[in-house]
Amino acid sequence: MKTNELSQKYRKPLSSARIFRLVLGFVLIGLLTWRLIDVIIIQAEYGANTWLRLIIVGLIIGGVYSLIAIGYTLVYGILFMINFAHGEVMMIGAFGGYFVFEALKYIPTPTAQDPKLTFINAQPVISIILAFLVGMTIASLTGFFLEKLAYRPLRKAPRLVPLISAIGASIFLQNAALLLFSPQPRDYTNPTSLARGTGLKIPVGSSSILVTYTGIFTFVLSILFMIGLYLLVKRTRLGKAMRAVALDKKTAALMGINVDDIISKTFIISGALAGAAGVMWGIHNGIVNFFIGFIPGIKAFTAAVLGGIGSIPGAMVGGLFLGLVESVGPAALGIDFQLKDVIAFSILVLVLIFRPSGILGEAQSEEKL
Amino acid sequence: MIAKSLQTGLRNGLIFGIIILFLVLIGFDITGSSLIGKVIGNSPPASSTKQLPYASNLVILISLLGIWNGAMAAKRIKGKSPSQSIAAGFFAGIFTGLITAVFALWIGTALKPGVDLRVYLIALSSDAIKFFLFQQSPSQAALIHLGLLAAGGLLGGLIIWLNRLRKSSVAFTRVNESFSNTATRWNLNVGILRNRYIRYTLYLLGFVVLIILPRIWGSYWNFVVGTVGIYIVLGLGLNIIVGYAGQLVLGYVAFFAVGAYSVALLNSTKPLNLHWGFWIALLIGIALAILAGFLVGLPTLRLRGDYLAIVTLGFGEIIRILLKSDLMTDITGGPRGVQDIAGPTIFGYKFSSDIDFFYLILGAVILAIFIASRLQNSRVGRTWLAIREDETVAKATGVNAFSSKLLALAIGAALAGLAGVIFAARNQYTGPDDHDLMVSVNVLCLVIVGGMGSIPGVILGAFVLKGLPEVLRDLENYRLLFFGMLLIIMMIIRPEGLWPATRQRLELRGGRQEPQDVLPEKLEEKGLEA
Amino acid sequence: MNTILETHQVTKYFGGLTAVDHVDLIVPENKIASIIGPNGAGKTTLFNCISGLYNPEEGEIIYTGRPINGMPTDQIARLNIARTYQNIRLFANITAVENILVGQHPHMKTTWLECLVKTPKCVKEENDAVQEACRLLDFVGLTGMGDHLALNLPYGAQRRLEIARALANRPRLLLLDEPTAGMNPQETDNMTTFIRRLRDELGITIILIEHDMRVVMGISDQITVLDYGVKIAEGDPKAIQSNPRVIEAYLGPGAAALSEKLMKRRHHDVTNN
Repeated sequence: MKTNELSQKYRKPLSSARIFRLVLGFVLIGLLTWRLIDVIIIQAEYGANTWLRLIIVGLIIGGVYSLIAIGYTLVYGILFMINFAHGEVMMIGAFGGYFVFEALKYIPTPTAQDPKLTFINAQPVISIILAFLVGMTIASLTGFFLEKLAYRPLRKAPRLVPLISAIGASIFLQNAALLLFSPQPRDYTNPTSLARGTGLKIPVGSSSILVTYTGIFTFVLSILFMIGLYLLVKRTRLGKAMRAVALDKKTAALMGINVDDIISKTFIISGALAGAAGVMWGIHNGIVNFFIGFIPGIKAFTAAVLGGIGSIPGAMVGGLFLGLVESVGPAALGIDFQLKDVIAFSILVLVLIFRPSGILGEAQSEEKL
Repeated sequence: MIAKSLQTGLRNGLIFGIIILFLVLIGFDITGSSLIGKVIGNSPPASSTKQLPYASNLVILISLLGIWNGAMAAKRIKGKSPSQSIAAGFFAGIFTGLITAVFALWIGTALKPGVDLRVYLIALSSDAIKFFLFQQSPSQAALIHLGLLAAGGLLGGLIIWLNRLRKSSVAFTRVNESFSNTATRWNLNVGILRNRYIRYTLYLLGFVVLIILPRIWGSYWNFVVGTVGIYIVLGLGLNIIVGYAGQLVLGYVAFFAVGAYSVALLNSTKPLNLHWGFWIALLIGIALAILAGFLVGLPTLRLRGDYLAIVTLGFGEIIRILLKSDLMTDITGGPRGVQDIAGPTIFGYKFSSDIDFFYLILGAVILAIFIASRLQNSRVGRTWLAIREDETVAKATGVNAFSSKLLALAIGAALAGLAGVIFAARNQYTGPDDHDLMVSVNVLCLVIVGGMGSIPGVILGAFVLKGLPEVLRDLENYRLLFFGMLLIIMMIIRPEGLWPATRQRLELRGGRQEPQDVLPEKLEEKGLEA
Repeated sequence: MNTILETHQVTKYFGGLTAVDHVDLIVPENKIASIIGPNGAGKTTLFNCISGLYNPEEGEIIYTGRPINGMPTDQIARLNIARTYQNIRLFANITAVENILVGQHPHMKTTWLECLVKTPKCVKEENDAVQEACRLLDFVGLTGMGDHLALNLPYGAQRRLEIARALANRPRLLLLDEPTAGMNPQETDNMTTFIRRLRDELGITIILIEHDMRVVMGISDQITVLDYGVKIAEGDPKAIQSNPRVIEAYLGPGAAALSEKLMKRRHHDVTNN
């Protein structure tokens, strides 16, 4: 065998697409660095307290994105489809929590000190727990029925088909909410102990920043949920089954795992997380309407892809990262806050162009024949 | 025996109960009833503003729903005994009726002053509630609902049973045989249309009709059908990308926007104060759209289906947000868009009326159909289909998938640009709100519902999804809700669309065989003749 | 005798699994070379490396003297290398004739613009292509089935259509992946004769993956045996049949010794009766 002499290989000429990507990459990196240096160092418009505030805001919203992103990644891991309607599941969860608070707002529990006291303020902890329970349950149910009605019949169809069904489901849910609840945005009535806008004043440098109670609550709860999910997937039997189904459906079935059941449960769990995220959104941001799921949904998907779709830690990291960049970005780049969403979409586009496997993901495997 | 009917009845009754509650909560009981009223001529006089339809129409609506409920439940029972089917229908009706009755009681009693449910569920104004209760007391209304639904369910079950009886009777079997083949019943590509000369004659007739009609039917219809025409062009363009090449693109509206803004900026007083004339703007618009197609395609076409969809979605949204922001107002007019776009002129004759624009759109439609059909049956079209069916194998068969996909994207973008230019010129205005995600979704819907890869399908889809809502103005609020549901249902029961694509019969053209159907049917095994 | 294809130490990893392990293969021109081995031995993976669907981590693949490992799939196809697949992969929703026409893609020269305008050159090329497609249909015995959608054809017809599509490439090298899978003995015999015709009448070199030993032993000029990605034997049919390593690869350890014992006993019985 003439192995030594013939160690040549066919060399692929640089295709126009690759050249384009390389040029684009260089240009973008150049522009970005220039802009960042310009705004942060040269002009130095913002003080340390602003940056700190932006970072905190970013982390808080990042936590919410992470929860939703985990939902996307869980579903993608087992079905290899993008659950387009996931943002709407979050929205439904938010409405669930809203109605609980509204109901509890009207239950009178008068005391000697305060004859006008209502349940929501008398028992804030229970109220919040109830709101989360209801929100998460309704969202889980939505996810469950979504899978059962719109995705399961299309399990064997070519990839395009369930994707279109998902788009249809998303449109349907959005408009159902629109018709049921009107386009009017609703205000979340938090218990007064967790009112929006109240928080700790932390001195930073010459001034101080306000770290809101709702913000702390949201962030801490997100982390707790993430830890909980991680433990579920890594330590429990259900988690093992989910991982098995994600790796190889047929073999998992041969091992005695009821694949349909596991898929349903995955949708239920991802729905629950999205529902929790929705309630948190309501508590922290205060506004719910039929449309609040759409853009956070896309952003959460961006986060999931950024972290490597199919990877749960990736979704967590991606969400936090996206939240940070989205918050700090407009200031750091010196552009209008109106264009905040453009940053998220741009990250989406750029990640998919340059590194579709994400930061923590494996390189996309070649197709198995 | 009875248990099975009970079970089915419970299941179906529950589902239908939820459906009815949902319909009430979105106000469809009112809309549906007024539609029924219009159809049977039983509406309140038009003089009164915002009057609710007559309660009798609600009776009809509920009864119809009840019959449907019963029929669906009875269909699930496979047995032939009459009692089972009818019982299933009846039980379904009872359960639905119970749910509806309880609901009626609840909202009826919640009608006491001080509680305005409208804050939470907008459809529940007190008038609406009273309507739902047939203007009776809650308990009476509950009984009426129960009765109607139970009776309807019974009737539905009866109808299904009778139908089964008819089908199994020997005398009827032979007559019905030719109708039982779903393929023949549903497929519109039947015998007559295959003859080339008949087809061409029909085309010519259609063309003549389309020339004459605009002069007759008034500017409203011109506008509506013109809009349908623009969406046909859009649909045919997206069809090339999605239907032929199988690349799901969700940001199609971006190319539409490029065309629209090209003519807007090159042919108006502000913001740029250019007056280059419509036709030049048209060419530039199409060229820019093609360029945009290249720029979008080069980095993204190597991505897999769902990723490509999302990335194009991202592009579309970025463009829309940028257009809407104040950042670009100096160049693109910002959130208020560009006004006073001048229209086309031919040899000094200015296009002003809807008729003129209709002819322009007609021309564009014919061009689009020409391009699509020529490419569809050519070598290029086949490579696209091969890529759609199995890209890896297509590549292994010698197809340069990347350049092929890029070509599809470029041509699709060009058609979108064309549509955009005409759209903006006709409206004499364009703004960021004309170019949101919903446009992309609409076009995607009509391509898929009409039939992916099928030119008549796309045309049909455009008429159904764009023309019909114009006609059924009352249902405007429910249009998108219906779209979403339609997409899901179509994907489950008929993913090939309303008018599926068919392929040419090339072996036949080689003059060798008798005509053979290209319909889905299994053939018998033939031996290998080597 | 020329060598049309050589692989040198071709290796393909999937994560921790070595699917193809430093395989050397020499395929002489205008011969039928078979690759056999138990399931999972890496045969199809080797095919995928040759046809460019996988990129081997190590080693070279030389085709008529030029290296083709790393070359994009479509370019390899344009070098007149064609193949069929283990699980039939036709273009399901287009007709049989159109499937074959796609196979002719490397030989058709019209651009899309010419197609659009329907120049005489385009029309002629298209007609010629259809004629050739019909001829190929006849060649594989699918006359009259050309206008059926590929997905509607029965299994045997689909297999033959796939071969027709591969032949449309006018290949010098044809890779057939289990062409007789799912066929009854009669059909298998027909397919065997057919493959021989390809070599003899059309001068095509064929590399064949097969499990049906009658076919393999019947038509192969050369057999290569893979097991767990490693080449364990190579030679003509007689040599392979009695190779103990091959027997053990298929039947397990100890089988070779048992087989030899049985053969000796049968020989003993025959000579003594």
